Amino acid sequence: MIDLTAPQRQSPLAILFLGLRIFRSLGIAQLVIIVVFVARAPFNGSLALVPVVIILAFGGFSVLAWWRYTFQLVDGEVVVNKGVVRVARLNVPIERIQSIAIDQQLLHRLTGLVRVTIDTAGGREAEFSIDAIARPVAEELQRQAVTAAPTSAPIDGTQPTSESGEDRVIFTHNTRRLLVMALTMSPLTGVLVLGPLVAFGGDFRNRVPDTGLGNVTFRWWLIPIGAAVFVLFSVALNIVRVFLRDWRLTLRSSSTGLRRTSGLLSRTSTTSSVDRIQMVASAQNPLQRRAGLRSVQLATVGQGGFSLGGCDNAQFSTVASLAAVTPIHELTLDRRVHRAEVFLAVRNVTLLCVALAGAMFALVGWWSLLALIAIPFVWVTKRTVVANFRWGLHDELASSSKVISSATEQALLHKTNTVDVTQSIFERRRGLGRVKLTTAAGAIAIGMIPIADAQALRDTILHAVETDTRPWI
Amino acid sequence: MTDPFTNEPIRADHLPRLTDDAFVSVDPRYLRISLIGIASTATIVTILTVMIATQVDRKVPPLLIGGGVLLLLLLAAIMRVLEVRRLAYQLREHDLSLRSGVLTHRVESLPFSRVQHVNVHRGPLERSLGLATLQVSTAGPDISIPGLTEADAERIKLLVTERADVVDETAAADFAPLRPPPPPPLPPPPVSSVPLSTPG
Repeated sequence: MIDLTAPQRQSPLAILFLGLRIFRSLGIAQLVIIVVFVARAPFNGSLALVPVVIILAFGGFSVLAWWRYTFQLVDGEVVVNKGVVRVARLNVPIERIQSIAIDQQLLHRLTGLVRVTIDTAGGREAEFSIDAIARPVAEELQRQAVTAAPTSAPIDGTQPTSESGEDRVIFTHNTRRLLVMALTMSPLTGVLVLGPLVAFGGDFRNRVPDTGLGNVTFRWWLIPIGAAVFVLFSVALNIVRVFLRDWRLTLRSSSTGLRRTSGLLSRTSTTSSVDRIQMVASAQNPLQRRAGLRSVQLATVGQGGFSLGGCDNAQFSTVASLAAVTPIHELTLDRRVHRAEVFLAVRNVTLLCVALAGAMFALVGWWSLLALIAIPFVWVTKRTVVANFRWGLHDELASSSKVISSATEQALLHKTNTVDVTQSIFERRRGLGRVKLTTAAGAIAIGMIPIADAQALRDTILHAVETDTRPWI
Repeated sequence: MTDPFTNEPIRADHLPRLTDDAFVSVDPRYLRISLIGIASTATIVTILTVMIATQVDRKVPPLLIGGGVLLLLLLAAIMRVLEVRRLAYQLREHDLSLRSGVLTHRVESLPFSRVQHVNVHRGPLERSLGLATLQVSTAGPDISIPGLTEADAERIKLLVTERADVVDETAAADFAPLRPPPPPPLPPPPVSSVPLSTPG
């Protein structure tokens, strides 16, 4: 048992990370000024000492910052003392901690240390991080934080817990699963990398005259070859990305919460209690549909959301049950939105395109009419969206949509923070309205339903929030 | 011991309804603050536009440009009047709602049990008219109700805070049996410790 009540200091390796952080905090402009000054300065006499003095100053400041940085657990609070010039004391009540992430960058892995990031949902960024400590200390901190969270009673049959409090492995993605994950990802990443090369390829080619590339002329069969190169490059990038990020992706469950670990070079472990999960979302593109996989997101308050790629249907159902929501295939999603949504989208885009075409006519002539191509595209897309959108109200508000990819969203009603009903002029004329349920980690919007239904939905959600005493955060 | 959580179906027509006629409009003096803001913006924008127009292109009469800008700002002022007339709030036993919007009607509802903190803000103009803005924050979006009298803002702040506390205490009582037992009390200080002396 590690005693965290005594002040703990980070490993001396943290000096390196603190130094890098201080260096980064200087800002790009200041760094550029320093580099330019050092590069242009005549290195003779005392000026040659300037870089040495700067490096020594950074080093000394980093050592002091490391020495001053301590953390401990006192009376249910994580107390952090830090600062060299401006001394700061940070008290974080342990039950307010939303998530604790443990991760290992390459340097950490070589030294057997980990970094801990603690988030309390007090802002957009994590509250603080401890750069380099021993793994047992980090795990003890993580265990105590998660244990302190108010935990709801297990739901029979849907929330398996371990009697002994030990972690139970829900699933681990093996190498084959990771490969399928990568192969079924959208093959468009390469466009982002190769696109600029193609766009500026002419300039590049002219600067390298000896390669013979200057003699290449355009042929129609270059198009499929180019497309194949893009796709292969994208697939290669996806494989590298998935293997680096999701290597041995494992989800564990215990009586205190869920833990996700993954990573090849940098190994990350994120823990959150079930109560802190606010929404469950999933997405599936056509390739993933063929492979029977989908990516699942558990949105929690603050920074500790879980991203679980490559889950099959059984794993998705298990994850949903662990997050205390009903597996989506067991829900009846039979409510639709009004078809006027298609008309509104087409009307708006038509007005926009006509205005754009009119404005561009003076510049490009009849070519400006090409802007009108967007109208049938929006019409077909929106019609598909509206035809396939389904929602339903149960213990949670759930929706599913499908155009090319399909997506689902679920939010338990008692996690609602606010609920809005809106009605534009267009909707008022047709007796329609929209409802938006917002949790602490995202929102579900149901658009264009009869206003009476929208108000009833709002009243039902408010009633659920105000009568359901289960913890919501 | 508390009752176990149940979730029996409830018919929608039996639910309490948020009726539109129970909304309370904000203080009409808030309109003056809004219009003063728009008038200030109008003055600055008109002066800048006329100045730029006289410098850049003398073919367009500056008065025409100034008049156009003023017309736009007049429309904004009319919209603001309508918006303030529609701005209203409703307090119920368990939640707070805000009605707003002219072109797009909007009703935001916030259960007291989700309130994180409440602020009362008074700007210089608001202070001069005895008004205040109530800001109710949750872990998600916030709700701001401008144009309340200072007394109303304080009363609503107190009510929201009390309601939020009541809900918190109820939840705490409900889940107390599920929480880990508190740590044992600390041992008494050693006899040799010196008590703090009080001055004088």
